[in-house]
Amino acid sequence: MSAATIEAPSRQPRTRVKRRRSGAPIHVALIAIVAVGLLPYLFVLTTSVKTNEQFATSYWAPSFPLHFENYATAWNQIAPFMLVSVVVAAISIVGIVALSLLSGYVFARFQFPGRRFFFTLVIALLMVPSIASLIPLFVMMRDLGLLNTLWVLIVPRIAGGAVLGTILMKTFIEGIPQELFDAARVDGAGAGRLFRSIMLPLSLPVVGTVSLLTVIGVWNDFFWPLLTVTDNALKPVSVGLLFFRGQAGTDYGAMFAGYMIASLPLLLLFLFLSKYFLAGIQGGLPGSH
Amino acid sequence: MAIQTPDRVVPDTVAILADTTAPRRPRRRRSISWGAYLGLAPLAIMLGVFCYYPAASGIFHSFWNWNPGGESTFTGLENYATMMSDQLWWESFKNLGIIFLFGVVSWVIPLAAAELLISLRSERAQFVYRTLLIVPMAFPGVVTALIWSFLYQPNDGVINTFLKSIGLDALAQNWLGDPHLALISLLFIGFPFIAGLPFLMFYSTLQNVPKEIFEACSLDGVNRMQRLFLIDLPLMGRQVQLLLVLVIIETLQYGFVAYILTSGGPDNATTVPVLHMLSEAFNGGNWGYAAALSTTLFVLTVVFSTIVAVAKRRDSTTNVKGM
Repeated sequence: MSAATIEAPSRQPRTRVKRRRSGAPIHVALIAIVAVGLLPYLFVLTTSVKTNEQFATSYWAPSFPLHFENYATAWNQIAPFMLVSVVVAAISIVGIVALSLLSGYVFARFQFPGRRFFFTLVIALLMVPSIASLIPLFVMMRDLGLLNTLWVLIVPRIAGGAVLGTILMKTFIEGIPQELFDAARVDGAGAGRLFRSIMLPLSLPVVGTVSLLTVIGVWNDFFWPLLTVTDNALKPVSVGLLFFRGQAGTDYGAMFAGYMIASLPLLLLFLFLSKYFLAGIQGGLPGSH
Repeated sequence: MAIQTPDRVVPDTVAILADTTAPRRPRRRRSISWGAYLGLAPLAIMLGVFCYYPAASGIFHSFWNWNPGGESTFTGLENYATMMSDQLWWESFKNLGIIFLFGVVSWVIPLAAAELLISLRSERAQFVYRTLLIVPMAFPGVVTALIWSFLYQPNDGVINTFLKSIGLDALAQNWLGDPHLALISLLFIGFPFIAGLPFLMFYSTLQNVPKEIFEACSLDGVNRMQRLFLIDLPLMGRQVQLLLVLVIIETLQYGFVAYILTSGGPDNATTVPVLHMLSEAFNGGNWGYAAALSTTLFVLTVVFSTIVAVAKRRDSTTNVKGM
């Protein structure tokens, strides 16, 4: 009773304050910030359906008819780069997931001398920036004769991705109750069956995060492909875009259409998997922050 | 969403299985599985060959006049001595310092955006704005760099065209071609700097502040500015520390944007350590010297990463995990 009487007068000013605060100014400010952030991309989007004449006559406003053939032109040039990126990402994902599932499983579920030591060796690699080992890795790849092959793009990425992958997998698998494994073992499942029927289906969130991180990594990797691949047919999209810009010259419509096509895969992933996308950028699993 | 199902299934299964499996546990603990080493072999080989060997080889060859494919001679600390007197190397670190300071100061905008966002009462509106604010993160870095290189273009570029269209022709500049403007132009890429980790961290910290605290504030008549300095910023202390170190590590690796827009020019005005290292190796053929530069960057990164690791161990309540 007394609590209610005390609370009643206090609630009134509070709501009044809140109503005043959550008014238009905040929306205006937020819309302004959003607009400034997105304008460059919107400009590129509207220009991507203009011809050069339309671009010259109406620089800012959208201009009709929309020339979607710019996208066809750009696609013809961008497609080979996209294909390389997709192939590199796909093979890398398979390799990373296989490696980190297996190693994460071993680290989480088996006891053996040196377990802590080996795991520390894996964690320590998180501190090695890729840029620092770039030069010796380049020399090594040259000695192996792998420059200008798809493998020079794939193999180091698998090794790098397996580091975070193994750590995430181990942490995740440790969270799966041992009872599940024991029960399956009672029912006669061997190590292989345990792996296939319990581990694999349960660890799908980690597999998803690791895959997403790999795709983002492939699409953003720049110096490594720039230095190791000079053959245009093997350039991934990040480096291919530079070459494409040189070719498109001043055909801004096609050039910007190409930028949009190159961004589309990551944009789609962001739209549909934004929870994983953000978790991945913050270096963890969904729900960990 | 489908991902949630296993979590929900597990507890039930556990409850059912709990007593039947209890006695079996000790057996697993006793046995040492030699198969474990076999299972780790693929990872060990991959990491050994493609992570540990290159890192070690880089450090090793930083003491050599390294001629890949030819005769290398041991030179001791000569490469490091050259580095200490390399004008361009120090120049590039000065640029890094500017990049870092600018990065930290620019957090004001993500902080303001997070504060604005948290003041919205509707969860739905918060979600919509948050998503729109971070959409630029989804664009590949190369695309963002290329788009900004167009914005800065002297003739057809958006910025100069805009300035001319409002009659400020005098302000139109050769943004990337002028040594005095090039670095600051690079820094403004991605303006208003919201689509990034700082914003996400500020926002999630503010979201985790118990509602009662904000309510108590408004009851006591604490205004928005006071709340920012008395409540929000102290609560973010740990996050800001972590961010600072992460930004240092990130800044040390800064390079590809500068490569795409200016290649370190004009007059080395935008050169950074990474670009200097690459040009020593690939243009100059000074592999040993480049290895010394890369080892230096590596050591600096390890030092700062260790600080992050220690800071994280000391405080388990930090929001961003697995860094």
